[in-house]
Amino acid sequence: MELVASLFATDNYTAVKKMMDVSAMRHAAIASNIANVSTPGYKRVDLSKSFEDELKARISSRDADAITSAVPRTELDTMTPATRADGNNVQIDRELLEMSTNTMNFDALTNFASGSLKQLKMAITGHQQ
Amino acid sequence: MNVLAATAITASALEAEKMRVDITSQNIANAHTTKGIDGKPYQRRVVAFESVLNQEMGQNMQGVRISEIKRDESPGELLYNPEHPHADKDGNVHMPNVNIAYEMVDMVTASRSYEANLAVVRNARQMANQALSIGR
Repeated sequence: MELVASLFATDNYTAVKKMMDVSAMRHAAIASNIANVSTPGYKRVDLSKSFEDELKARISSRDADAITSAVPRTELDTMTPATRADGNNVQIDRELLEMSTNTMNFDALTNFASGSLKQLKMAITGHQQ
Repeated sequence: MNVLAATAITASALEAEKMRVDITSQNIANAHTTKGIDGKPYQRRVVAFESVLNQEMGQNMQGVRISEIKRDESPGELLYNPEHPHADKDGNVHMPNVNIAYEMVDMVTASRSYEANLAVVRNARQMANQALSIGR
């Protein structure tokens, strides 16, 4: 059992899984921002900057357990100035752009995860597919 | 990981924006209603949005809803038209305070926001499909 589990506990594979979680949370944050584009006083939500730094540090430490235990969190973005009189600081074009980027990022991550699994399969069976 | 849960937020926004378009269409439809059900000229309705914390999605994630639909109390135009059945004794007709230009702007804003929210759903679906095809 330990042998099989260790196949899936490589630092790269856990990092990809965690980054997919992060990407999904980012999508939810962007969904929240776009939903509230007309809400007066709404402040945009984004991944917490401190979390991004923390994740980066944990991934470069190559410690699978440390990566798994990271919990993604969001924060209100009060740094972006509100350009409108109602205090709402969502810019719809920026959100749409970030959403596309995030989706593409997610695609890349899923491809990487698929690739790892395919490689593993190939190592086990000895042939492709 | 839950990509599809974000659609709950988007759904609330779609509902709110749809309501905004409905209210706009009501305003435009009644742009010349000089006698409403209360006997007074029609007053345009204005929607107010408010955000709702979506607990399941985790901290800070907010949906949206229409908190109230208010009447715009500003006075409408006075039109001199003595032949009009609703003219007062001086021959003036109190017109509704609907401004078609405002309503059109509101409608375009609402439908663009609606489209943006649809794009969010499309992306969420793409992400979910990608996640489902991992290993294939």
